[in-house]
Amino acid sequence: MSELQKTPLFDAHVALGGKMVPFAGFEMPVQYKIGALKEYTFVRKGGAGLFDITHMGQVRVSGADALAFLQYMTTNDVSKLAVGQVHYSALLDDAGTFIDDITTYKISDDEYYLCINAANRHKDMAHLLQQAASFDVSVADESDDTTLLALQGAAAQAVLQPLVNNDLNEIGYYKFAQVNVNNTPAIVSRTGYTGEDGFEIYIPHAIAVEVWQQLLANDAEPIGLAARDMLRTEMGYALYGHEISDTVTPVEAKLMWITKLNKGNFIGKTAVETRKNQGPEKRLIALKLTARGIPREHYAVFVDGEKSGEVTSGMHSPMAGGVALAYVKPEHAEASDLSVEIRGKLVAAERTSLPFVRSNVKR
Amino acid sequence: MTIPADLKYTKEHEWVRIEGDTATFGISDHAQEALGDIVFVELPEVGRNIYAGEAYAVVESVKAVSDVYAPVAGKIIEVNESLEGAPEHVNTDPYGSGWIAKISIGDGQVELLTDDEYTTFLEE
Repeated sequence: MSELQKTPLFDAHVALGGKMVPFAGFEMPVQYKIGALKEYTFVRKGGAGLFDITHMGQVRVSGADALAFLQYMTTNDVSKLAVGQVHYSALLDDAGTFIDDITTYKISDDEYYLCINAANRHKDMAHLLQQAASFDVSVADESDDTTLLALQGAAAQAVLQPLVNNDLNEIGYYKFAQVNVNNTPAIVSRTGYTGEDGFEIYIPHAIAVEVWQQLLANDAEPIGLAARDMLRTEMGYALYGHEISDTVTPVEAKLMWITKLNKGNFIGKTAVETRKNQGPEKRLIALKLTARGIPREHYAVFVDGEKSGEVTSGMHSPMAGGVALAYVKPEHAEASDLSVEIRGKLVAAERTSLPFVRSNVKR
Repeated sequence: MTIPADLKYTKEHEWVRIEGDTATFGISDHAQEALGDIVFVELPEVGRNIYAGEAYAVVESVKAVSDVYAPVAGKIIEVNESLEGAPEHVNTDPYGSGWIAKISIGDGQVELLTDDEYTTFLEE
């Protein structure tokens, strides 16, 4: 077991009463003094929640073949990205299953920036570097140099604006700009993982603490991993290791919308096409308990008295009750009468649509 | 952290208030603090017989599911139904409105600690 890494904000988290836990190789705050429920409510009800997500990785891809390389390596159609635009995408292996889910930022025609999951960083880099040899491209892992903050909630723009030289109104949903934050070059995108308006802010470690403190002074509230997971689950956003993994393809995970089969060849394409034609082995659904209880990860899902699959993410939503994402057999994907086995008892549930609660992102 | 002197405690961080032949159960301030925000409590059925050390209830926080163990054996005579609508009472008032169940005392108990012994146990 290697030693856990600390972000530049570790001391700040501890000073704020952050309860530090191991997460993806880092020591990260699961919650602060006010607790996960109040943190969640702060973000949902008009505040600006501040998240240290420095554990996430960043990769810069540049060179004459940058576009061709990323078209081959990722599932979404990079040729459709404009400079200053971001999209959600994925890295697949030859079997069509997920190596990672990522976001791709187009900086210029020959330069792109990828945000990747912390836990997948090394296998992503190995995969990218292995293929990069065939392209005129350089692939640089910048994860160790970059602090990533997320500022999420209706108040996010007002809280961030005083630190940034550009007008944040000019950054639309899933757009970004290279700006100065405290006179230091940074990337700010209107993206997030909460279903609220907000930003993700890429800055050098050197200004991490001062930016963190200024945002808190502007009435942001620090938010830990527990509330972050509540917020993303309510939106039905996939989390690597839960809804997506190296055992499922975009066909099962309902992520064909980021998998463009008509864009030319990419790694995993043939396998995804085959899976699509043959039909998936299981399907991701959203369900809501109609009786009391909390569906948790790995709890069995039953349809017509038969075990059909299991929960991948579940929670008690303060607004929607017991809700979960779950994989079920394909023939049960449209079933309405479901149940979840909780401590040996079947608790009634119904299929529902996503998101579980209303999204407030500014499209 | 509060550890009232009139209660007994277990090493599993439950408390018990013994009054004549009945006993009231709950979880300690330390336990609720460690669990974080409680969002669900599964109560036992009234009339159920439980043995000392049996998992008779479940409390769920945002992230975790935890069994609650009976300090003393007996028969459940009352449960705190208000926790179904307001599980947060376990956090805000663990020794008062956050009580979980009352029993008529039967035979057997787990090792019970005084407030001083529990304080020492927490410090170890």
